[in-house]
Amino acid sequence: MNPGIDLQQRFIETLTDFGLSDGISKLIWMPVPMLLMIFGATVGVLVSVWLERKISAAAQQRIGPEFIGPLGILAPVADGMKLVFKEDVVPANSDPWLFTLGPALVVIPVFLSYLIVPFGENLLVSNVGLGIFLWIAFSSIVPIGLLMSGYSSNNKYALLGGLRAAAQSISYEIPLALAVLAIVMMSNSLSTVEIVEKQAGYGILGWNVWRQPFGFILFWISALAECERIPFDLPEAEEELVAGYQTEYSGMKFALFYLGSYVNLVLSALLVAVLYFGGWELPIPIETLADLLHIPQDNAILQVVDASLGITMTLLKAYFFLFLAILLRWTVPRVRIDQLLDLGWKFLLPVGLANLLITAGLKLTLPFAFGG
Amino acid sequence: MNLAEGVQFVSFIILAVLVIGAALGVVLFDKIVYSAFLLGGVFISIAGIYLLQNADFVAAAQILVYVGAINVLILFAIMLVNKKENYAPIPRRWIRKGSAAAVSIGLFVLLSIMLTRTHWSVDLSVASPALPIETIGEHLFSDYLLPFELASVLLLMALIGAVVLARREEIEGETTAIVGELPAPALELPERPREPVA
Amino acid sequence: MLKFLNKVGDYAKESVQAAKYIGQGLSVTFDHMRRRPITVQYPYEKLIPSERFRGRIHFEFDKCISCEVCVRVCPINLPVVDWEFNKELKKKQLKHYSIDFGVCIFCANCVEYCPTNCLSVTEEYELATFDRHELNFDNVAMGRLPYKVTDDPMVTPIREFGYLPAGVMDGHELAANQQRAGLRPAAIAEQKKLAESASAPEGGE
Repeated sequence: MNPGIDLQQRFIETLTDFGLSDGISKLIWMPVPMLLMIFGATVGVLVSVWLERKISAAAQQRIGPEFIGPLGILAPVADGMKLVFKEDVVPANSDPWLFTLGPALVVIPVFLSYLIVPFGENLLVSNVGLGIFLWIAFSSIVPIGLLMSGYSSNNKYALLGGLRAAAQSISYEIPLALAVLAIVMMSNSLSTVEIVEKQAGYGILGWNVWRQPFGFILFWISALAECERIPFDLPEAEEELVAGYQTEYSGMKFALFYLGSYVNLVLSALLVAVLYFGGWELPIPIETLADLLHIPQDNAILQVVDASLGITMTLLKAYFFLFLAILLRWTVPRVRIDQLLDLGWKFLLPVGLANLLITAGLKLTLPFAFGG
Repeated sequence: MNLAEGVQFVSFIILAVLVIGAALGVVLFDKIVYSAFLLGGVFISIAGIYLLQNADFVAAAQILVYVGAINVLILFAIMLVNKKENYAPIPRRWIRKGSAAAVSIGLFVLLSIMLTRTHWSVDLSVASPALPIETIGEHLFSDYLLPFELASVLLLMALIGAVVLARREEIEGETTAIVGELPAPALELPERPREPVA
Repeated sequence: MLKFLNKVGDYAKESVQAAKYIGQGLSVTFDHMRRRPITVQYPYEKLIPSERFRGRIHFEFDKCISCEVCVRVCPINLPVVDWEFNKELKKKQLKHYSIDFGVCIFCANCVEYCPTNCLSVTEEYELATFDRHELNFDNVAMGRLPYKVTDDPMVTPIREFGYLPAGVMDGHELAANQQRAGLRPAAIAEQKKLAESASAPEGGE
């Protein structure tokens, strides 16, 4: 394994070379990855909104946004600008404090979860030992925000939507956690970096999806439900609940919900790529390629190419799953609330438990393949 | 004081103020929904304090269990119980208030005594484990196996109890009212009268 | 135990079937993504209205004899015919004529029954206004001829589905001289005449 690029080290070294003290250079470094991550997540959302509109259009034989920028690529930016400048309406008899706090509580944990998404061995904000567990913990804060916004809107649809969203969020978190747990058991670590490293070395054959096919399906279904994507978009079912907990929101607060849902979707897609599809790994390991081309492992250009290829691979895999989610949106009709809970508690939960049990058994019997 | 210590100190102050302020809010607010939301705030702030003490697993578990499950459950209970009750002063309410105050003050005194009598000097010779989660796991399944299993049995009992309580046995054939007759009482499923479990 | 296993097996079978159906659905949606958009980019592209399109009604003032047949056949008696009896000419003289296209249902019964053919339907359908009273067209407004889609240099005219050559499903990128499927009315009329003239001598009087 070559160590790849350690951006932090380089950055701090460069600053100290300019004559700054070590502490100050570290202080300057600290916000950089965070800002980069927030910026990256927002750009990712803009891209995914554009993709959503374009792919939806293609699936319905339309053209989609066309005139705002080349191929309509600036349409999401225009949407965002519109929402920024819209009037911020607080409904009568609502609770202005909770009403404002709700969207923030929904968005912040999702953004925080980006801390653990790795784009390369050293290309993540913080390699905390908790790793994937942090994401599960953070995503459990979201229902509080949903309940808060639903309750404070002073609207029956909003309240029902908020309750539905929270119930859905809680019940699908369990299969999600079970699927993640099986992966964690195989990798002997919660850290996302190590989970990817455990999949490295054999190219496409080493990816977790071959060892955890049911876990992957489980994870993907639950992730879609957590993001309230279409087969599971009951909390904002137009026909029944107007727009669920978002009914009374407008302007920037609505934009926060919108942003949050897409950030969550991109995050889920990224995590599917990380957990099941080898993260930044290429289908053919780059070491093999380098050996074939007779390039030494410590070649600087190779390291740069490796890092950029890693980012590209992660994004490619993630956006493939985003594409799948969008395609599913136009294929599958919305489930009813009882079907949703049936699926969650009577199908995903038992399958998740069985999957975990089988993984444990396989780990004991076939330790070479299941990370014993 | 270097940079890291300064950051820690400031964060500790902020978190402590948040915990105490939110906890006071939980007790003092009249509106029960505010209390419930502030309880979530208390839990999150405590998780922050755990994080400050390098106990990141405990912090995450705190958020997952207390905020994600318990607090949401409390909120659910508050929001689903759609019962409007006019506030009526209870006779001899001062007895309740007084006893609650006495218990609270007693607890506070007890904790204060405990605080002052404990030696807080940390033994620095014991290094923190390199893999805290694995260490926790090992302890759970060796030293603390009995409490762990007891807790799981307790949870299982609660689970089954909830299923028994929530299950309705519908009586078949008595569900529909004939058109023209008096309609069945709205929105209530006919249920078999529940007999106590033998 | 066996019963339970059977149940599990059935459940698994059902799940596989559900997955299969979802997969089929996904393949249909995916297939649609390869197809060309069928949308008409409206202000820049317009469909050529069909031959029998019933659009805004055209009115020729000079042909009108103020008979008010149009009013009688109109489902809601919509046309307003304002005439005066000219004693010198001993004729009804038309002063104003108007139809409110905000109320008209474009059934073109008036056109059908007009004895002097002073009413006719046009292919104009872009009647959007800022005020509904602007849709109350008087005889001058109704006398205007609409702009043809095919003559507008700003607009790419696109033929409707029924006017496309056999086998072609999309009006975009179609050469102007490609003839539509089937014969034109003129050709049909000619054929009919030929057939009649062929059959006339035999079955003649």
